[in-house]
Amino acid sequence: MPRLPSIAVLLGGLLLCSRLPAADIDPASYGFPLHNPFEATIATTPPELRPDLPPDSEIDQRDYSLSLHPARPFALPDSLRQVRDLRYRLARQAHAAPLIFIISGTGAHYASSHTEYLKRLFYGAGFHVVQLSSPTSYDFMAAASRTATPGLSREDADDLYRVMEAVQAQQADLPVTAYHLIGYSLGALHAAFVSQLDETRRRFAFKRVLLLNPPVNPYDSIRNLDRLVQTDVPGITGNLTFYELILGKLTRYFQQRGHIDLNEALLYDLQQSKERLTDEEMAMLIGSVFRFAAADIAYTSDLINRRGLITPPDYPVEEDTPLAPFFIRALQCNFGCYLNEQLIPQWRRRHNGGSLSQLVGQIGLQALREYLAGSRKIAAMHNADDLILGPGDLAFLRRTLGERLTLYPFGGHCGNLNYRVNSQAMLEFFRG
Amino acid sequence: MVERPWLLVAALLLGSLAQAAEPAADADGFKRPLERLQFNSGHEQHEFERASLAILDVRDPWERWNRRVYHFNYRLDEWVLLPAVRGYRAVTPGVVRSGVRNFFANLAEIPGLLNSLLQLRGRRALDTGARLLLNTTLGVAGLWDPASRMGLPRQGEDFGQTLGVYGVPAGPYLMLPVLGPSNLRDAVGQLTDFLAANRIDYLNVATASDAHPEISALKAVDKRDSIPFRYGQLNSPFEYNKIRYVYTRARQLQIEE
Repeated sequence: MPRLPSIAVLLGGLLLCSRLPAADIDPASYGFPLHNPFEATIATTPPELRPDLPPDSEIDQRDYSLSLHPARPFALPDSLRQVRDLRYRLARQAHAAPLIFIISGTGAHYASSHTEYLKRLFYGAGFHVVQLSSPTSYDFMAAASRTATPGLSREDADDLYRVMEAVQAQQADLPVTAYHLIGYSLGALHAAFVSQLDETRRRFAFKRVLLLNPPVNPYDSIRNLDRLVQTDVPGITGNLTFYELILGKLTRYFQQRGHIDLNEALLYDLQQSKERLTDEEMAMLIGSVFRFAAADIAYTSDLINRRGLITPPDYPVEEDTPLAPFFIRALQCNFGCYLNEQLIPQWRRRHNGGSLSQLVGQIGLQALREYLAGSRKIAAMHNADDLILGPGDLAFLRRTLGERLTLYPFGGHCGNLNYRVNSQAMLEFFRG
Repeated sequence: MVERPWLLVAALLLGSLAQAAEPAADADGFKRPLERLQFNSGHEQHEFERASLAILDVRDPWERWNRRVYHFNYRLDEWVLLPAVRGYRAVTPGVVRSGVRNFFANLAEIPGLLNSLLQLRGRRALDTGARLLLNTTLGVAGLWDPASRMGLPRQGEDFGQTLGVYGVPAGPYLMLPVLGPSNLRDAVGQLTDFLAANRIDYLNVATASDAHPEISALKAVDKRDSIPFRYGQLNSPFEYNKIRYVYTRARQLQIEE
């Protein structure tokens, strides 16, 4: 009977655990210097507060490609030939090690800056690292997505899972001791769905899964992102467009400094000068980046499926076809437009109708509530001032994840991923 | 234990001060960051579209040819240039590579000096002349770059810029095989700079290159190694349009500077 006390402790611990509150990081001791969520999102962490990372020369890495060529009703147009095969990047350790898959955020491909940063961080800590494009990235849509209409989390996760299986098969000689999964932004939502899929398919049996700044209800998130470009920026009239206004500020700033210095601390320094950007201007910049991503998604999905909303269905799109007319049309389409014109009609056709609220209920983290609540291998890190969240989202995460949610007081959207305190917490989670 | 209440009070004070500028958070801690923004009323909401459409406004009558060259360059890069760069990096120690980089950059100061003079930029011409002198002598034929460490950073000027300064318009956008984005004016500039450097034959490199094409090959590999851009890096079906805008706008800024 000597075991009884320890079992009692364990049981008590489990009971208590399910009621433990989220780990709220105290604003006073956190030390992240950017308290403005828009600044944090754009500039991320000042260089001196970032973790030490291995340089490229110390990373044994290569890009590989997978010829998945999913069966679709129409052949891929010539203009997308360069993304016929799906690229991914593998950084390998010289010895047996755990492998971590990184899923990139909205519209981002495998070599985008956040993904590269996470690679360095985990490679430096002794992991093999595989970097994957987001299912919303045009290369993934062309090379790996069966419907080329991203947005349905379960189907996107299914596409991702096939990609990960193909990576595993292609790297069969890699000595892997365990599999882990991490995603940021929309990639974190995908990671949660991939993890659930893996519970039945068991190809990876992920040991730990970390969600960094996930959207809780992606429908609310895209509404937030679409609104960012509608901020009121005074001084934009006639020939002076928004970009020219920002360029003008940058030019004057560089003139005052006497030289052009495009470094990582640029925005941080700019915000200390009198040419500093207002919240509305920064919001518009962030919103613009997402709108360009939305344009790419809307254009690519329409083209691959010959929907005729942007490119006429029988229009020959060759390597040398001028694309400006279609770029113009795609730029008019924000996330809401893509959802209404492409994703929802397609979903209705394939699922016999269904309301918007049904769709919304299927694609968010709420759809995984029970799975998330019961899976102790999954944790999330989020920010109290993240731009993609809506009211009640954090309450949902607190209820569902309990102490497996770490909530940072600052950082905006993913701006503190490369802050030393955060990187330390990430590494500890995967080591533990 | 006596200190505790003080710490608490201090923390509360600091906390309230720090949060003075920030909106109050929800019960679950959410700070509603979008609510601190001023939004446009209905009819003025199209600034993103307006500004972004201006990006497409680049004269490009030879677009079909340019796009074919863009795809040619894309493949050349992947199948020839980047593998060559990888091989070069694998067999050459870093110190040698930086010596090679400095050596060719030092040669490029010659057209830089000429163009600074042509633009009547005395200060810049003096700085570039001093760099050339210091790096060729102290830096042993340009293998090192002591001038930068002495506070004379490199300031490239090319003949395309010089033409731009004197009001020559950019002309149609032009994608050059191997060399990448340009326009009619800058392509003429590149050719002129190349011919001028050949004519001057500084350190006899141009003559030596005629006899030893491997010098030109090394120069090309070093050049590619020095440019961080990769085709496909913008990860967009509209990469061609985006590169075209960025190139055109960046050249405008360089000329206005």
